[in-house]
Amino acid sequence: MKLLIVEDESSLNQGMTEFLSASGYICESVGNYRDALEKIDLFSYDCIILDIMLPGGSGLALLKHLKNDRKEDGVIIISAKDAVEDRVLGIDLGADDYLTKPFHFSELAARIAAILRRRNFKGQSIINAGDMQIDTSGMTVTVQGDTVELTQKEYQLLLFFVINKNKVLTKNAIAQHLWGDDMGFPDSYDFIYAHIKNLRKKLTAAGCTDYIRSIYGQGYKMQLA
Amino acid sequence: MKLFAKYNRVNIAATICVFIIGSTGFYFVLQYVLTRQLDETLRVEQQEITAFVKQRDTLPVIENAKDQWIEVRPVAEMTKKASFRNANIYNPQEQEEETVRQLVFTIKAAGKQYEIIVSKSATETEYLLKLIIGIAVMMIALVLVFNYIINRTLIRRIWQPFYRTIDAIKGYHAGESLQLPQEKIDELRLLNQSLHQMSEQINQDYQTLKTFTENASHEMQTPLSVIRSKTEALFQYAERDEKLMQHLLTVEDATQKLARLHHSLLLLTKLKNRQFSTTDLIDFKEVIQKKIRERQELFESKKITVSLNGDITEKIFHPHLADIIVSNLLSNALRYTPAGGSINILQEEKAISFQNTAVNGSLDVTRIFHRFYKADQSAEGTGLGLAIVDEICSASGCKVVYRFHDLKHIFTIDFNMLT
Repeated sequence: MKLLIVEDESSLNQGMTEFLSASGYICESVGNYRDALEKIDLFSYDCIILDIMLPGGSGLALLKHLKNDRKEDGVIIISAKDAVEDRVLGIDLGADDYLTKPFHFSELAARIAAILRRRNFKGQSIINAGDMQIDTSGMTVTVQGDTVELTQKEYQLLLFFVINKNKVLTKNAIAQHLWGDDMGFPDSYDFIYAHIKNLRKKLTAAGCTDYIRSIYGQGYKMQLA
Repeated sequence: MKLFAKYNRVNIAATICVFIIGSTGFYFVLQYVLTRQLDETLRVEQQEITAFVKQRDTLPVIENAKDQWIEVRPVAEMTKKASFRNANIYNPQEQEEETVRQLVFTIKAAGKQYEIIVSKSATETEYLLKLIIGIAVMMIALVLVFNYIINRTLIRRIWQPFYRTIDAIKGYHAGESLQLPQEKIDELRLLNQSLHQMSEQINQDYQTLKTFTENASHEMQTPLSVIRSKTEALFQYAERDEKLMQHLLTVEDATQKLARLHHSLLLLTKLKNRQFSTTDLIDFKEVIQKKIRERQELFESKKITVSLNGDITEKIFHPHLADIIVSNLLSNALRYTPAGGSINILQEEKAISFQNTAVNGSLDVTRIFHRFYKADQSAEGTGLGLAIVDEICSASGCKVVYRFHDLKHIFTIDFNMLT
């Protein structure tokens, strides 16, 4: 899977590149409008991570250019602007998703994976992760051929873990992925613990290895080879 | 009071005053002139008699006319001066009582002293006076009426462009250009030009401010993103170090709070700038149900029961802002309701109330919607949620009210003023 990261803030660009490369993507990164335009014209990508405010031009102009050329690249806009109008405009112009800065890299990875799943629907609907087989089109999980009944939240949680396997996920990141940012969480994250406990219980009961590890009760990690 | 009404009132009062004073003056002047004329004829008569007496030393034979007659009486004393007077007497010629002007003088003839009274009927004069005054009053009345009608129609027409301008201003929002027609009248053209310039200035300031907030937002969010990304990278190394893990979590929490704070302040600025104009018909019941569904597990984890009652008609509202209002009020209720408490949402025809069980007493009614107000300073949350709700309400033309009743915090959004 090939990604193009268009972001002018170099440390952020580098951070995303490292994180996404570690997730198994082939990443190319550019820091301004002209370079981005050149890359877009020359190559095609599975997904483009696009900042709106760029030196030399607007990310939205790039998006327009891309859609005028009928390119099939998936696009996720990352922007500091939370303006609803921008969000709507971006989606109207053909972006697949819109993520407001600052965001968790794990969240970005999850969004990219979702876009890629939607785009390559036929071939890629089965994810193999250890003992588990996740069918993203039917939203079902099987362990050694047996279906594991999961609630919607548990399924989302599992997918989030699988996409960000071998990475430490904090409670904040998990909570934001499952419930969004505007929820006004109660002071404790006990309900996340409950969800994870249930998920682990269901998976181990089906005969699956327990891949999820708690990191000092502050975060979790799915250890997959 | 309208400018025209005020102007008209003063105008009419002044006109009437001037006309009353003028008419009275006119009346007296006219009367004076006509009396002088009468007196002149009487004096001519006197002169004729005096001349006759001087010549012949005897009184002339008096022939009385219809409107002029002479009485002669012998008197004991002579008066030096002749005197004029008005009187109502019986006119023997006309055989009726009438107003007359009399000239009384004494004369010596043939050794005898006589008083001679020359009377001349003033009826004609009075009639003339009445006629002239009548015509004058009629003219005044006509002038007043026409003046009023002309003022009314003309001024109404003259002010038309003014009202057009006012209408244009009423519908004006910062960020758009004010379209005013080119007027022929100097003052109105000046007004429109000035208003146009002002709106251009406002627009410019507005755009500058808008760009500034957007840039500031970008400039601040980017470093925040960097901090968060680096923290996230560091988490991968903290697996074996609990201390490091805890430090990083603190950093992450702070970053998140800062980001949220920043978003909220930006939203408040945008609301103050009235940057949300698109509206839609919003079914608040649907919005509330959706927001409750999203938080279902959170409510359950705190064992809070949530109920939604009543019905509300659809309101014209900005969809995103409707989401934020409901979200903020629900999040507040979720955060401050004690475990095992309850949240009731009551929809009425023109209002929605969010009620939740209180831990302590009433909140500070005067400060509750202020920015950064927190009943408990140590509490989580930015302290901007209610300020945002308040600001959205005033930007959308409704009102939010807080009251404490029956150990419950009650926030009511009043849509009464909303169409």
